[in-house]
Amino acid sequence: MRGERRLLRLGECLVRQACRRLPQEIREEHYREWAAELPAILHDPQVRPAPWRAVRMLVYAADTLRGTALTPGWVRGPRSRLSVAGDLLFWVAALVLVAFNSWSVAQAPGDWQEYLLPAWSVLFVAYLIRKRVHPVGRMTALLYTGSTLTLVAWNAAQGNWLNYVFAALVFIPLPILLLAWWLRVAMPARGRHALRDSG
Amino acid sequence: MRMTGPVERVLTAFLSDPAAPRYGYDLMKAARLPSGTLYPLLARLEQQKLVGSAWETPQQEGERPRKYYRLTGEGVRIARLELAQASARRQRAPARPGRPAPGSLG
Repeated sequence: MRGERRLLRLGECLVRQACRRLPQEIREEHYREWAAELPAILHDPQVRPAPWRAVRMLVYAADTLRGTALTPGWVRGPRSRLSVAGDLLFWVAALVLVAFNSWSVAQAPGDWQEYLLPAWSVLFVAYLIRKRVHPVGRMTALLYTGSTLTLVAWNAAQGNWLNYVFAALVFIPLPILLLAWWLRVAMPARGRHALRDSG
Repeated sequence: MRMTGPVERVLTAFLSDPAAPRYGYDLMKAARLPSGTLYPLLARLEQQKLVGSAWETPQQEGERPRKYYRLTGEGVRIARLELAQASARRQRAPARPGRPAPGSLG
């Protein structure tokens, strides 16, 4: 298949990412086991056409990220200060949004838009609670960030100056947090080279 | 061992040929489970000594060794027992009243 090596490398990258979250003593074995299945999926003659095999392989690799949190022995590693600060910022923003939107409803109970915003901000708090209970939520975070940006931009377009303040609150820290997240995920981290060598 | 749907499907897949070594991908297809569900489940079954695992020796040079799983003797016994009990429970459970077919009475 064209681009097979690249696909395999991408799959391995996802599996490696998943294994980074496992304890050191079982990390290497899991990486070897999971990465060894990638070529088998990519060459499975029972699955046709070839692009569908590639999709299946990538889904397999991506789902190991979810699996590591359920694997016995998995422990949440020590959290960085940036991650703690990011969470704190989200909590403050969520609570401020709930308070402000509830206040807005109390001020203008007849406007349907005012009901939409408190519901949305409660969802924001629900997401943060879920993230605390279940740590696998990067994709949800990205989806939520996208919807947040859309909603804030839509609100800012309405011309209310208070919405510009909220837009600034979200627009300024979010690119920084996203960049930090990307750096953490994409850049070499402790244990990664050992995994690459062993794979 | 708590008999959930995924556990039942994995045990059924193993019991279709208890002596055969099963790879992760092979089990994924047989049990129709994603990797994120299957591997943690296999790890738990292995901890409970119901499943054993070993690394295969690659047949060709450059091939990666794959890890395969097999039910232990105790695993076969417990799997058969648990699956039989699950099947009996399903038969005992009262059937849900379905929606009446169009045109029928009731």
